[in-house]
Amino acid sequence: MSVTAQIIRRRRPSLAGYVFLLPWLLGFFGLTLGPALASLYLSFTNYDLIGTPHWVGLENYVRIMTADSKVADSVHVTLLYVAMSVPLKLGFALAIAVVLNKGISGLPIYRALFYLPSLLGASVAIATLWRKVFAGDGLLNHVLLVFGIHGPSWVSDPNTALYTLVALSVWQFGSPMIIFLAGLRQLPQDLFEAASIDGATPRQQFWRITVPMLTPVIFFNVVVQTIDALKAFTPAFIVSGGSGGPINSTLFYTLYLYQEAFGYLRMGYAAALAWLLVLAIVAVTAVAFVTERLWVHYDD
Amino acid sequence: MIERARRPWPRSLAYHIVLCAASLVMLYPLLWMFASSLKPNAEIFETFSLFPEHWDFSAYSRGWNGLQVSFGQFFWNSLLISMLSVTGNLISCSLAAYAVSRMRFPGRNICFSLMLMTLMIPYQVTLVPQYILFLNLDWVNSFLPLVVPKFMAVDAFFIFLLTQFFRGLPRELDEAAVMDGCGPWRIYWKIILPLSVPALATAAIFTFIFTWDDFFGPLIYLSDVENFTVQLGLRGFLDSGGQSDWGAMFAMAVLTLLPVLALFVFFQRLLIQGIATTGMKR
Amino acid sequence: MNRFGVNRRTILSGSAALAAMASLPRGAQAQAATRLRTYWWGAKERADRTNKVDEMYMAAHPGVTITGETLGWGDYWTRMATQAAGRNLADLIQMDFGYIFDYARRRALLPLDQFVGKEIDLSGFTQQSIDGCKVDGKIYGVSLGLNSTALIYDRETFEQFGIPIPEWPMNWDELGERAAALTKAANRPGYWGMTDNGGSGPGFECWLAERGKFMYTQDGKFGANAEDMADWFGFWAKLRAQGSCVPPEVQSLDKLDIDTNGLTQGKAALTFSNSNQHVGFQALNKRKLDIAMYPAGSSKTKSGQYLKPSQMWSIAATSKAPEAAARLLSYFVADIEAGKILGVERGIPASKPVRDAIEPSLDTISRRGLNYIAFISDKVRDLPPPPPRGAGEVLALMVRTNEIIGFGKKSVTEAARDFMRECDSIITRG
Repeated sequence: MSVTAQIIRRRRPSLAGYVFLLPWLLGFFGLTLGPALASLYLSFTNYDLIGTPHWVGLENYVRIMTADSKVADSVHVTLLYVAMSVPLKLGFALAIAVVLNKGISGLPIYRALFYLPSLLGASVAIATLWRKVFAGDGLLNHVLLVFGIHGPSWVSDPNTALYTLVALSVWQFGSPMIIFLAGLRQLPQDLFEAASIDGATPRQQFWRITVPMLTPVIFFNVVVQTIDALKAFTPAFIVSGGSGGPINSTLFYTLYLYQEAFGYLRMGYAAALAWLLVLAIVAVTAVAFVTERLWVHYDD
Repeated sequence: MIERARRPWPRSLAYHIVLCAASLVMLYPLLWMFASSLKPNAEIFETFSLFPEHWDFSAYSRGWNGLQVSFGQFFWNSLLISMLSVTGNLISCSLAAYAVSRMRFPGRNICFSLMLMTLMIPYQVTLVPQYILFLNLDWVNSFLPLVVPKFMAVDAFFIFLLTQFFRGLPRELDEAAVMDGCGPWRIYWKIILPLSVPALATAAIFTFIFTWDDFFGPLIYLSDVENFTVQLGLRGFLDSGGQSDWGAMFAMAVLTLLPVLALFVFFQRLLIQGIATTGMKR
Repeated sequence: MNRFGVNRRTILSGSAALAAMASLPRGAQAQAATRLRTYWWGAKERADRTNKVDEMYMAAHPGVTITGETLGWGDYWTRMATQAAGRNLADLIQMDFGYIFDYARRRALLPLDQFVGKEIDLSGFTQQSIDGCKVDGKIYGVSLGLNSTALIYDRETFEQFGIPIPEWPMNWDELGERAAALTKAANRPGYWGMTDNGGSGPGFECWLAERGKFMYTQDGKFGANAEDMADWFGFWAKLRAQGSCVPPEVQSLDKLDIDTNGLTQGKAALTFSNSNQHVGFQALNKRKLDIAMYPAGSSKTKSGQYLKPSQMWSIAATSKAPEAAARLLSYFVADIEAGKILGVERGIPASKPVRDAIEPSLDTISRRGLNYIAFISDKVRDLPPPPPRGAGEVLALMVRTNEIIGFGKKSVTEAARDFMRECDSIITRG
C-alpha cells in the first residue's frame, strides 16, 4: 500500500465520522448546548416570557440561597425522597434478585411480573391510580380495615403524602432488579463452590462474596437511581395535582421549578433553579466517582 | 446446577410462596384498577374485591366518548408520534453510535463524553429556550417539536445502548469488509445494522414506550384537543368528569396501558436484555 | 438476520409519509376559511354548552371554523403563560378578573374599544359592566356573565336535620354554629357541616370588609395586617375544633374545582364558591342544592360581597383575525339564541335583551342564580381595587397557611406572622 493510499484511507473515515455524527451534532448544538447556554444567560435576568429579559446579576441566585423558604422546603422534600426511595428500591431489587438467582423454577415468569410495574409506572394512568390506592376511602385502607386498622387519608396528610410517592418509586424496583440479576449471573460459580466446601454459610457467602463482587453493579444502580430521583417530576405532579401540597410536603425541587416558571412566569428565576439542579447532579456524580475506589471492586 | 439438586424442597417451596405473595402485592393495584373499570361506580370504593358483583362494561363507552374528541383520535395521535419517534431514534442514534464506537476521527472521545453528559442534564434547563425556538419555526401545536428532536439523536440513552452493542461486535468484520473495499456506509448498512437487530429492536421498543408515556412534552406543545395524546386525554378526562366517574377514568387508564402491556408480552426478553446489557457497563 | 421483516426501504418510505402527516397542521385543508381558536377553563357542563354555541355559529357562518381548547383551572394559567410567551394564544380567551390587569399590561391582549359598536354589540350592557372589564381606561374584556361569591349548600340535608338554612342576614359565628349543629345531627363518619374555607381568598376578602378594609389597597399593597390574619385563621381553627368543618386531611384534597370540592365528594353540606358555579355543582349532585350570601359582619347589616364579571372573553393581541374573533365574541355575549344555550352557567348575562329573552326558558336551577343576583344587588359594595401581580401566589399562600395551622405545624399567631412576611415578599417582588 502506497503512502498516499494510506493517507487517503486514514482521512476518509475521519470525515465520514462527522457525517455520521451530523444529526447528533445538530441536536447537541441546536437543542441541548444552545438552549442550555441561553437558559444560563436567563438565570441572570428577570424574564416573564412576554417582555424582554433584563439583567439582574446574581439576584436570583442570592434569593435562592438566602431568602426563599420554598427552596428550603423543596430541597428538604427532594433529599428525603432520595434518601428513602433509593436505598429501599435497591434493597428490594437486590433481595428479590438474589432469591430469583437461586435457580428456582419459573424464573422468567417472576422476573416478568416484578418488572411490569417498572414499565408501566411512568404513565398518567398509574399516577391517577396511585391517588386512589392511597386515598382515605382507597384500596389500601379497605385492606387495612380487614385487620381492624383505620388508615389515614395518605395522599392528603402532610405527614404521609411523601411516603406514597416513595412507595410508588419502590414499587418500580424491577429494572434495577434485572440489572442485579444480570450481575449475579456473571459471578464465577466456582468461588461459591469453593466457599461452601470451606464451610461458609450462605449468609457469609452473600456478604463476603456476592456483595463485594457486585459492587460495580451496585455503584451503577446507586448513581443512576439517585440522579433519577433528584429529577423526579411526574409522580408528584399528578399525585398532588401540581400543587406540591399538602403544605409543600410533596413539593419536589423540579415541581417548584415548574411552578416558578409556568405558574408565576419567573423564567429567569426558574433557569437559576435549573442550573443549580445541574450543579447538584454534577456534585453527586463527582462524589460517587471520587469515592468509587474506596468501595467498588473491579477484577481488572 | 449442583446446588439446586442439593437444596431441600421445603426451602424451594418457601421461596415460591414468598415470591408469589410479593408479586400478588405488587400487581394487586393494577388488577384492582382493571376490575374497577368493570364495576358500576357505586361499587368501586365499597370493596377491594377483584371480582365485580355486577358486571358493567358501560364505563368503556362513557370514557371513550367522555371528551368532545373521542379517545380514538388520541390513540391515533399517540401512535403517530410514537412511530415517528421510533424511526427518528433508530436512524439518528444508530448513526451516532456507529461513529463513536467503530470509527476513528479527532474529537471522537470528546463527543462520546458529551453524549454521556447530556444524559444527566435535566430537561428543565433547555425547556424554555427550546420552546421559543420551536415557536419561531412556527412548529408549536404540531407534532414536529415532539418528533424532530428524535431525528437529531437527543435521546443519548439510546446512543449509549447501541454503542454498547456495536462495541461487542467483532472488529474482524470491519477489517474484512475494508479489505473487500467497503466504505463506512456499507459497513454500517450491510454489516453492523443487520447484526444489531436485537439492540435496534430494544431501542425501538423503549422509544415507543417512553414516547407513549410522555406527558410533559405534549402538555407544553399541543394545545388543540384534536392533537392530544392519550396521556393528555387522560389528564383532561380527570379534569372534566373523571373525578366523579372513576369507572370511566379507570377504563381509559386501562386502555392507555394496553399498548405498553402488549409490547411487554411480546418482547419481554428483548426488554430485559436491553436493561441488563446497558446496565452492566456504565 | 432480518427477523422483523422490515427492510430499510420500507422504513424510509414509511417515515417520509409519517413525517409529512406530522407536519400538517390541523385544519390546513380549509385554507380559505377563517380559523378561530377559543380557550376556556371549566368542567364538562361548560364545555358542552360552549361547543354547542360554536357549532351554531359555524353553521351560520360557513367560512369560519372554530376549535375549542379547555383545561381545568390549575393547568389553565400555566398553559396560557406558555402560549403568551409563544405569541400563540387562542383568538378568544376566557379571562378572569384576577389576571386581566396582568395580561393587559403585558400587552398580551387586544384593546377592544375599536370594535365596540361595530363587530361587538354592547348596546344591552350597562356602563358599569363595561367599566368592570377596563384596564387603564381601555376595554380588554367583555363580561360573559355577572356573578358574585356565594355559599352553595345541600338544602335537602339542612332541612332533613332541621338545621336553619344559611339565610341572609347571618353573621360568621352563626354560620359556624349551624354547620357544627349539622355535623352533630348528621352523626355520620366522614361527613361535616361545611368545607374548611380558611384558605379561601374571596371568603377572607368578604370577612375583611367588616373592618373597612379591602384585600388590596389602591396602590397595590396587601390590605390586612398580622392581627387580621391571626383573627381570620383563628376563626377557622375554632370552627375545626368545634366540628363545623372538615378536618385538614379532607380539605387538602380540594383542588379548587367543582369535582374535588368536599360538597361534590359527599364530605360536607356547604361550601364557599361563586353563584354561577351553582349550576356546575348541581349537575354533579343528586340532592337539591341552593345558594346563599356569604355571612355578614357581626352587626348583620353590611355585606362584603361585590358583583363582578365571572369571566370575560378577551382577544389575544396576536390574533390573526381580530375582527372575526370580535364577531364571535359578540355572538356569545349579545345573541339571544346563543344566550339560551349558555344560560347562566358562566353567570348572569350582562346584556339586558339576552337576560330578558332567556328568563322564561330558564329551568329552576338557573332561575335560582338569576334571583340570587337580583337579591344581592342592593346589598353589595363596589368593585375593590384590582389585585396586583402576585395575587395568585398570595391565594396559594393562604391555602398553605390554613393547612399549616390545621395540621398543627404552627400556632395561629406564628403562622399569621409568617404569612405576612411571605406575602410582603411576594407582592414587592411582583
